[in-house]
Amino acid sequence: MPRPEVSGQREQDGPKQDDPKQDDLSAVEAGLDALDAPVHQEPPRRLRTVLFNVLPPIAALVVLILIWQALWASALWPEYKLPAPGEVWAEFWSRASNGEVLSIIWTSVHRAVLGFAIAVAVATPLGLLVAKVPIVRAALGPLITGMQGLPSVAWVPAAVLWFGIEDPALYFVVLLGSIPSITNGLVSGIDQIPPILPRVGKSLGASNLAAVRHILLPAALPGYLSGLKQGWAFSWRSLMAAELIATSPALGLGLGAYLQQGNDLSEMSMVITAIFLILLVGISIELLVFRPLERHVLHSRGLTGAMAK
Amino acid sequence: MECAIELSGIGKTFGRGKAAITALDGVDLRMAPGEFLCLLGASGCGKSTLLNLIANLDQPSTGSIVRNTARPAVMFQEAALMPWLTVQRNVELPMRLHRVPKAERAEKVAELLDLVRLSGVNDKRPHELSGGMRQRVALARALASAAGTEEADEPSLLLMDEPFAALDAITRDVLQGELIRIWRKTKTAVLFVTHDVREATRLGQRVVLLSSRPGRVVREWHTRDIDGTGDSAEVTDEITAALREVISQHAAT
Repeated sequence: MPRPEVSGQREQDGPKQDDPKQDDLSAVEAGLDALDAPVHQEPPRRLRTVLFNVLPPIAALVVLILIWQALWASALWPEYKLPAPGEVWAEFWSRASNGEVLSIIWTSVHRAVLGFAIAVAVATPLGLLVAKVPIVRAALGPLITGMQGLPSVAWVPAAVLWFGIEDPALYFVVLLGSIPSITNGLVSGIDQIPPILPRVGKSLGASNLAAVRHILLPAALPGYLSGLKQGWAFSWRSLMAAELIATSPALGLGLGAYLQQGNDLSEMSMVITAIFLILLVGISIELLVFRPLERHVLHSRGLTGAMAK
Repeated sequence: MECAIELSGIGKTFGRGKAAITALDGVDLRMAPGEFLCLLGASGCGKSTLLNLIANLDQPSTGSIVRNTARPAVMFQEAALMPWLTVQRNVELPMRLHRVPKAERAEKVAELLDLVRLSGVNDKRPHELSGGMRQRVALARALASAAGTEEADEPSLLLMDEPFAALDAITRDVLQGELIRIWRKTKTAVLFVTHDVREATRLGQRVVLLSSRPGRVVREWHTRDIDGTGDSAEVTDEITAALREVISQHAAT
């Protein structure tokens, strides 16, 4: 049997133009493509996912209310400290049935959304500057990180002294609460871009501005999104703190003011209703806006690890 | 004949003072249009650095580079596709950067994907492809680099930095064959960086061996004629011996 000359034979296979093995190569290639491409798992059934995600929190809520009811029934605390669940429901329903709840929520939510939008408009260019200009990073980086840890309620006295108990004071507190988070989110998103991507961009002929638009920003999107999410949480929190402290008829009745009203009247069922509504808004925005957005972005990049969340 | 690229006296030093590292020293290299040249060397020979200089991703410390080709198409060891873009949009990216009209872009993408035999995966995302497919998309994208630029009609140049090193053996073997096919079809000049002697002799018409730290041209071999004849086994052994000698010189110090 002749000894196969592997290297010599290979040499002749490759370059010759009319070699029949050239066609073989395309078949081999197609076979490899079929074998090596990642296999896609069927997404779990819709109904099951929904049940799995919806039932446990509802069950938890029911258990919580049952415990509450039991504690109330045991009469360990006076009524003004721990009202019955039914009484809180009555308070909620009396405000919900005439639409007052919607107006309270709207007063606060539209403030938070507007404040958040301004924060995004300010924080995005700021984040780009901090991430890409070393001197700006050295100068502002620690300050922004520090401000992220500063409870924004600390700004309320200053805001009231500067702007009076008016809308601008509330926006000021919201902005100082959320801008640092959004900025830092974008910065860490940009820092986590694999260095090869900007290099590829440069080799493909991207100018600086085009590189920002086509490579830097989209590549930083996951980090930016989590910054936005945190920024929203901070703006909502800051707004509640500000509304709680700076109450005035001129500001209308938002959720924070409503909570403060409950406090002034020593009306525990109002206080609990207010807290419940604040929570409800927070959870709704997270579930209706940020969760689907994040899921879409991560899924399209094959980062499915976060899907189970 | 006019050279595709001509490097004269290229030197590259990173850092300053005592910590300075000389990656390249006095490298002269000429490449003819349409030539397939393999740059061979062990780690630290500055072969990637040299490629980056030609790709204009970095500037040489000394010497000059004359390039008479279109914007070079560059491929790296990683495919480095944009994970948020589909295959179609990835290949389109360089043309979007150069403001090529949409219809023209679509036509070119179809042509390039057909060239790398990946028609029909346009709407897939990089994470849905195998490593070999990703590298082929990266090749298609790189080949679109010159489209829409002023030099688009100049002869083309493809710079490859160990593009198959991270692939499994079978895929690497197939892609080497594919690269030769594409080289013949497009008549592009190819500068291929590798540390694999077999790969170098299989692909290159000419193999240039670089020494390490600093990188200098040690020797070069003409491994095969344009028609693909010539005995490669002997040359491979010879180059391997030379490469081993270059590496052994570092053992003493």
